[in-house]
Amino acid sequence: MINATKKWIFLKISSIILIPLMMWFIINFVSIYDQSHTEVLAFFNNQPAKFLLSLFLITAFFHSALTISEIFEDYIHVEKIKIVANKLLYFLAIIIPLITITVLLKFNL
Amino acid sequence: MKNNNPISPHIQIYNWHISSLVSISHRISGVINFLFFIFLSGWILLSILLGQSYEIFYTFYNTIFGKFFLISIIWSFSFQILSEIRHLFWDFGYGFDLKISNISGLVVIFGSFILTIFIFLVGRQII
Repeated sequence: MINATKKWIFLKISSIILIPLMMWFIINFVSIYDQSHTEVLAFFNNQPAKFLLSLFLITAFFHSALTISEIFEDYIHVEKIKIVANKLLYFLAIIIPLITITVLLKFNL
Repeated sequence: MKNNNPISPHIQIYNWHISSLVSISHRISGVINFLFFIFLSGWILLSILLGQSYEIFYTFYNTIFGKFFLISIIWSFSFQILSEIRHLFWDFGYGFDLKISNISGLVVIFGSFILTIFIFLVGRQII
């Protein structure tokens, strides 16, 4: 299978996973965003939320990295800058969810 | 040497169509969502690690800008969800007809606003 096809399949799978997770997350976010610190922590600390939030972050960053590299492909015409931009994007898309999920899972009230 | 090759017209030359509007909004909302994911990670990390200083977020969400930020994020999520569903239908080979694709484009545009209101009301436990 050629790379472009693989990328396309990964994109579609991640978007199918993301649609319900985005709905779940945004509704919860709207309900807790202005709550007190304790209540926000209580939300992060309960089990389905921990798991779903981690899954959401992984898929969201994975999907974003693939799609934003497509946008770079269209708008950045200098090859060197494009390579650097893509490297930076992939680096952020790995390191940010990794740190967040580690803290989220290690954390106990 | 000066390059006199004809170039394709810039985006501003074209008439706006529903398809192009939805397409560019899909990209813009996608980039907004990516920036939001970074903000979200920061929010999660800081609220776990900061303790008392969490007040900054509380103050931020209560400003006009904070409220605008919240509504924009809900819209951008709604738009992305609906537009992505439209793309999935295309991938399965449905909805390529010009008329249907225009209708689905309109559904995405208006639906995103309705979904925004719906998500807000459900999230705030008003309905």
